[in-house]
Amino acid sequence: MQTKNLLKAGALCLVIVASSLISWEMYLRSKGLKISYDDDESLWANKRDMVYEPADKATVFIGSSRNKYDLDIPTWERLTGDHAVQLASVGSTPLPVLDDLANDKNFKGKLVVDVTEVLFFSTTPRNNQTPNKNLAWYKKRTPAQRFSFQVNHLLESQIVFLDKNYFSLNALLGRFKISNRPGVIMPPDFPYDFGRVTYDRQNYMTARFVADTNLQNKVKGIWDFIRKMTKDPPLSGQKLDSLLNTVKNDVDKIKARGGQVLFVRTPSSGPFLMGENMGYPRAKYWDRILSVTNCPGIYFADYPAIAHFQCPEFSHLKPADAIVFTQNLVDIIQKEKGWTFPNKPELTKQ
Amino acid sequence: MVFNSYTFIVFFIVILILHNLPFSWKTKKVNLLIASYIFYAAWNPPFILLLWMATIIDFFVGRALYTQPNKHKRHLLLVLSLCGNLGMLCFFKYGGFLLENFTHLVNAIGFNYHPAKPNIILPAGISFYTFTTLCYTIDMYKRRSKPVKSMLDFSLFVTFFPHLVAGPIVRPPQLVPQFETPHKATQQQLIQGLLLMSLGLFLKVVLADSMLAGTANDVFNSKDSLATLDAWMGVLAFSGQIFCDFAGYSTCAIGVASCLGFILPENFLYPYAAIGFSDFWRRWHITLSAWLRDYLYIPLGGNRKGRLRTYTNLMITMLLGGLWHGASWTFVVWGALHGFYLWIEKLIQDFKKMKMKPQVQTVIPAPVIAQGFMAPRFLKKVQSSNFLLALLTFFMINVTWVFFRASDFTSAWRMLTSMFSHVNNGKVLLGTLSIIKVSVIIVGIVIFHWFMRNTRVVTVANKLPWWLLGFIWAVMLLLLILSQESTSSFIYFQF
Repeated sequence: MQTKNLLKAGALCLVIVASSLISWEMYLRSKGLKISYDDDESLWANKRDMVYEPADKATVFIGSSRNKYDLDIPTWERLTGDHAVQLASVGSTPLPVLDDLANDKNFKGKLVVDVTEVLFFSTTPRNNQTPNKNLAWYKKRTPAQRFSFQVNHLLESQIVFLDKNYFSLNALLGRFKISNRPGVIMPPDFPYDFGRVTYDRQNYMTARFVADTNLQNKVKGIWDFIRKMTKDPPLSGQKLDSLLNTVKNDVDKIKARGGQVLFVRTPSSGPFLMGENMGYPRAKYWDRILSVTNCPGIYFADYPAIAHFQCPEFSHLKPADAIVFTQNLVDIIQKEKGWTFPNKPELTKQ
Repeated sequence: MVFNSYTFIVFFIVILILHNLPFSWKTKKVNLLIASYIFYAAWNPPFILLLWMATIIDFFVGRALYTQPNKHKRHLLLVLSLCGNLGMLCFFKYGGFLLENFTHLVNAIGFNYHPAKPNIILPAGISFYTFTTLCYTIDMYKRRSKPVKSMLDFSLFVTFFPHLVAGPIVRPPQLVPQFETPHKATQQQLIQGLLLMSLGLFLKVVLADSMLAGTANDVFNSKDSLATLDAWMGVLAFSGQIFCDFAGYSTCAIGVASCLGFILPENFLYPYAAIGFSDFWRRWHITLSAWLRDYLYIPLGGNRKGRLRTYTNLMITMLLGGLWHGASWTFVVWGALHGFYLWIEKLIQDFKKMKMKPQVQTVIPAPVIAQGFMAPRFLKKVQSSNFLLALLTFFMINVTWVFFRASDFTSAWRMLTSMFSHVNNGKVLLGTLSIIKVSVIIVGIVIFHWFMRNTRVVTVANKLPWWLLGFIWAVMLLLLILSQESTSSFIYFQF
């Protein structure tokens, strides 16, 4: 009798679970929502494994979110025949990853470093958190975690509700906007349409975001909030020298092994750009990093083809502009910076 | 691998199929043994050598301890086994801690000694399997049970994957006889096992990881003095997290074993409904407290050598119990606090006993004794006051968790100050939603523990109408899937 009841309970449980999940998935798909990947440490570590591809077959990108939004990976790979390995992290400095690659004797490839001054020229621990977490995971991954990642990838590629940032239990509870006590600082709540992620770790805005100024204004408000919360002044003096020296040492190590390093200042616009120009004058920061490291650099404002973009929320390119930016980036890198891509398709060879 | 991972789901399905195919019992045991090694190697393959070493040494030493007639040789063999097992544990778990304290000591007396910090990786579950093998050799030395005849059975006893890395800590008589005869789960065992696995994962993934860990981490990682509400919420969140994390693991382990047809001992019996601290230790990590009682407290003399020795033995046991949890003085203080609580409880108990001596036979009605058989006698009077005593116990336990969770004494002291005094301009850290989540879950856990304190979850599940059980089970699974927390480690793996 007990066994029969347990069996019935188990069967009912399966029916409820299956029907609820199918209904939830169908509901989300009916709203036009698409697959997006959790941009966590396991996805990052999966890409980190790829930096050992031969230098003539892959380029590694590090930096912050601008690299992730502005580099259109399919365009890059179509034009260069080169695999783009995206290791940038949202809201982070690239320096821990640069250091990791510099100290990895097996890395001898091409490296593009995105310079978002407020994050790059910073020693705020918060800006190191994600890269350090990613690196720690990468170094300590167990065989079981590697296998789990592959299974998770299979599921995540098929199921829309497997999107931790927006459809996990905590994210759903977070939608109840309950007011907090005065003084409580909550992490920013980015709109769903702003932060979609591909398996290659490319971020993109949805068409809805590009069209909806309310959503754009919400993100602009978040930038303003972050600006007010940031209490550290721009790095200068000895601290800046020390940071630049660290970067130089890391870059030298990569170059000594035959690797190539290129710095890129990706586009921003409006008040965001004005603020960056005021806080981080080009001569004091961008020019110095190129001179100290003796590396080539591409500053977006120097090239008319990529100087005109208006970012929807002042800081990142919309998908259509990312394609144009990437096309021009490839062009500039080859023509002016002397990088070659031996595997690029015939049609694009110049 | 961890139970809350996709890897484990695939692994478990394969094992379940293999265990139900028509192989010989020996083949099935070999399958289980290989599976257990794979389960362990999925963390860090080289550490499997330690497991093999412990298994082989203790199998042969255990047998020799039982059969060796010469007393001195038996002593020598016991010392060899203790040195092997505890030496390994000391090196991997306490090596860095001992060196750090030694350095502090020699520096304090004037020597300028600064060794390089050792980079020792702690093998998962070493404290658990060391205690498992230790109890075997000690039992053999005391001839409490017969040596395991087969190397295969002994290896499986040490390595059986459901209990390997975080208990329950099993004794040979609990598990070895189950390996001697063919075991396959009945339909009822299989479904109950799946139900327990769902419950365990619900506790771990939904409650511990998804709902409570964030709040506990935010509060304990804060470098500022906090507002009293925030400090208490952080401590309560950790209190819920550590229970749900560890009890969740044990429940899963029992469920996994049940699906394969084996029975593992209970490890948790609703500890947050404990009335008093000895009751708490009969409900929290039961297999560890029983181990410490049988292999440390009683050999030290227990309560047989006078009052002073009893109190000393109690404190030594709790201090070492604290140290077992981690190589840090904060764990020792955690153990000391529990030892102190047990002292106070024993003092009151002894005082009451003296006062009530002439009446004790007539005052306490039999049903009350039956109901509260695990609580000290003075705590068994009235149900409603018992609940208040359970709340008081829970409150005091929460204070100890501060030392368990804080990374150092400065943090612990800052937290206690925030909890028990008004801190001017204490930082307001937690959002309203976090406070609601912690409050609802903690109140829910305490009430649930109170109503379940004299029963078992499987007993209750069997009594529920099938549709209600099916509905509750479905809700747990749905929340488990929706929480999307799949890879975090169990807290007790580090111990």
